[in-house]
Amino acid sequence: MDVFLQVVVNGLLLGGLFAITSVGLTLIFGIVKVVNFAHGEFLMIGMYATYLITAQFGMHPYVALGAVVPILFVLGMLTQKLLIEPLMGARNHDIQIFATVGLSTALINLALLIFGANIYNTPDYSLRTSIEIGPVRMLVGQVVLFAVATALVIGLHLFLQRTQAGRGIRAVAQNRAAAQLMGINVSRVCMVTFGLGAACVGVAACLIAPLYPTSPGIGTYFVLISFVVVVLGGLGSIGGAFLGAMIIGLIDSLSGFYIGSDLREVAVFSVFLLILILRPQGLFGGRLNLSHES
Amino acid sequence: MTEQTSTKPTAATLSPTAKRSTGAAIALMVLLAAIFITPVAINDEFVYHIFITICIFAGLSTAWNIVGGYAGQLSLGHAIFYGIGAYAGIMLTNLGVSPWIGMFAGAGIAATVAVLISYPCFRLHGPFFALATIAFLEVFHQLALHFKGFTGGATGMMIPLNIGWEWMVFRERLPALIIAFGMMCFILAVAWWIRTHRLGFQLVATRERESAARAAGVGTVKVRLIAVAISAALTAMMGTFHGMYLTFIEPESAFSLTFSIQIAMFALIGGLGSVFGPLLGAVLLVPITEFARGALGAEAIGLHGFVYGAVLVLVVIFIPNGLMGLISPWFKGRDTSSKQAAAVEAPTEARAFTPPEPGEEVVRVKNLNKHFGGLHVTNDVSFTLREGEILGLIGPNGAGKTTLFNMISGFLDADSGTVEIKGLDGKWHSPKSPADFATLGVGRTFQIVQPFAAMTVEENIMVGAFHRYPNVEDARAAARRTAEKMGLAPYLNAEASSLTIGGLKRLEVARVMAMEPRVLLLDEVMAGINQADVRRAINLMLSIRDEGVSIIAIEHVMQAVMSLSDHVIVLSSGEVIAEGKPKSVVEDPQVIEAYLGKEFTHA
Repeated sequence: MDVFLQVVVNGLLLGGLFAITSVGLTLIFGIVKVVNFAHGEFLMIGMYATYLITAQFGMHPYVALGAVVPILFVLGMLTQKLLIEPLMGARNHDIQIFATVGLSTALINLALLIFGANIYNTPDYSLRTSIEIGPVRMLVGQVVLFAVATALVIGLHLFLQRTQAGRGIRAVAQNRAAAQLMGINVSRVCMVTFGLGAACVGVAACLIAPLYPTSPGIGTYFVLISFVVVVLGGLGSIGGAFLGAMIIGLIDSLSGFYIGSDLREVAVFSVFLLILILRPQGLFGGRLNLSHES
Repeated sequence: MTEQTSTKPTAATLSPTAKRSTGAAIALMVLLAAIFITPVAINDEFVYHIFITICIFAGLSTAWNIVGGYAGQLSLGHAIFYGIGAYAGIMLTNLGVSPWIGMFAGAGIAATVAVLISYPCFRLHGPFFALATIAFLEVFHQLALHFKGFTGGATGMMIPLNIGWEWMVFRERLPALIIAFGMMCFILAVAWWIRTHRLGFQLVATRERESAARAAGVGTVKVRLIAVAISAALTAMMGTFHGMYLTFIEPESAFSLTFSIQIAMFALIGGLGSVFGPLLGAVLLVPITEFARGALGAEAIGLHGFVYGAVLVLVVIFIPNGLMGLISPWFKGRDTSSKQAAAVEAPTEARAFTPPEPGEEVVRVKNLNKHFGGLHVTNDVSFTLREGEILGLIGPNGAGKTTLFNMISGFLDADSGTVEIKGLDGKWHSPKSPADFATLGVGRTFQIVQPFAAMTVEENIMVGAFHRYPNVEDARAAARRTAEKMGLAPYLNAEASSLTIGGLKRLEVARVMAMEPRVLLLDEVMAGINQADVRRAINLMLSIRDEGVSIIAIEHVMQAVMSLSDHVIVLSSGEVIAEGKPKSVVEDPQVIEAYLGKEFTHA
């Protein structure tokens, strides 16, 4: 029983990790209607930045947030402005996929070119120390991650629902042309949204860096799971992404323990395929979803 | 009319790609010859390697293009089929079976897997299809790692070093080049054949407008499954060869996402959907990156990938049609502009109208009902259509006219009630899918025109004509006959997207007429066109009817309804509120009320 409890807690903590990497992806999809295949590479850049700041200046990785988040915000805005916006009017809409796929490929290889294939370990500042609560153990960093993920999801939700800027963003998601006619600067809203999505991944990077080694391919690992989470939660739904992340975290943890750790991904992706094919609007699509058919 | 587009008169009867003058053909021959002769002439290990790699990637990318380009299904999981081919070849070689046999075994398995995977995934589009293929690839990757006993797991598999043609392993490079080059040419030939025959037209039509393709009788799922099976089989065959060429295989490289992306990338850079674009992409990019790898070695790890990614981004932004999009205007004739002026003026005088003898029933609709949620959009609708009759279907906006059309063409299932069509065999049939309706001779147009934008007018009409004529030349001839009748002859070689709205409406009708339907469903073909075009359209419909085609027309243009229809049905809020001769119907107070409101009934 204790073992089962531990596995479940591990799953939920892992869910927190997936939630924080997915929330930006789903935000960008929901508003800008772009599947950002380079999202994982944004995470990778954030993790390298965190590593450099911590290793070079001896700062706590959480302090690096102050630099990493703005960097990624700007990176996201630039991606939208220079890469996505010029393609908005393209005859073949699917070509956007390849713009971000190309960006992803270029960034992974740029990292290889600069840092080599080596793995970098960000100093953990005792974030990898485990604490015990009753019968279960968890890492300090994981608990922080879970808390921040929850706060981020709630914060973003409130921002979109309660603030004027949030309403503008949702209006753009519902109907771009109508929003434009209402005097909303659609181009700027998309840029800011893309920036926000990337900034979320910046937060994720600072929190993940002390727990996982940084490598050029790290983004691919996380982004594939994030896609699963985002589709499961209903594309564009922030609350859905959080619940989706918890479900995937549990599937990952339970299948890893009861089926075999090398088949975890098979289990996760099988669930993903089932959802994608049988219920493409996601488990929670329609209810929490803020992206309507466009 | 196409003689002018090519220098050789015989080219006029060839397919669209061949029509682009012999210049293109010569350029292609020179390119292919150069790919083969350059390494032989230089006779250097490294140069051989580069050109063999070019052939492999050009072949893989061309095979990918059949699905990704023609059918528009952007697969990022093609490494699955490559890996299956490579593993099949190496495993069978280890069992003492020649890879020449393993190649076909791999192709068979890959085609089967491709169909099984794609059937559920084809309901997904764009990024979601891409994501699903990535997920499948990841599953294959992990399973290959897991089943160590079968695949050798992460350590991979070697082949026994049996040298010779039989084993596809050589000391020299020339035989490997011969095989790679031969396979590439074979794949190019298959891709070219598909693009210039019925399958290719149907694939492109499906990519451009799925519903219009279905209305034209295209089995949209079937053609894409055929395409993916062929593409997977060709990819697997190349995979077998590549495995033997590398003499080693591991899950990490065989089922790699990066590799999948690379395959797609060459096609995209060269020109998505063009036959020879992927070849061009591979020829230009492979040498750059192989040189970078060879010359800079380990220092430049990641350099070639960076170049690929950067080039892809730049191509997508600045030349979205790829390199072929840049160079093909040089080879294409530009005769269409001069011809457009010489449009045939159809007579615009309205014809005298003589009501014909009503024939036998061809369509029987009984007690049709449809709900959308709480909305009763079709309420117990029944009517019949007779041979050679024009049935006008009118009613205010939201009356359920188009919904009714969707149910009598197979696009929507009714909740209850029946739609029966009399076949040529004289029996009554209850078709279910758009393809069934098309087979029975029911053709329809769409209220919002649905041209295949990337195709010419002629090709658009040919998609319809293929329904009756499987052969390209017959279909082309039929399409031209139809275009002549519709006054579209001067625009045959124009891109469909360049037509005016009136032209597009005629194209919509022409595509259906090329199917030679017995029953024609016209959804507001006269909406939004000018008076002269309306008169032309009326004459057109009468001449279509004179050929024995029965017509049901949704129309808001009253002038047309009154002068055309033998019989009129008025639909309001999903119910038939009046029917009969046009004259009697328009005087019906209920009809006036439905259209104009209650106060007008007393006027």
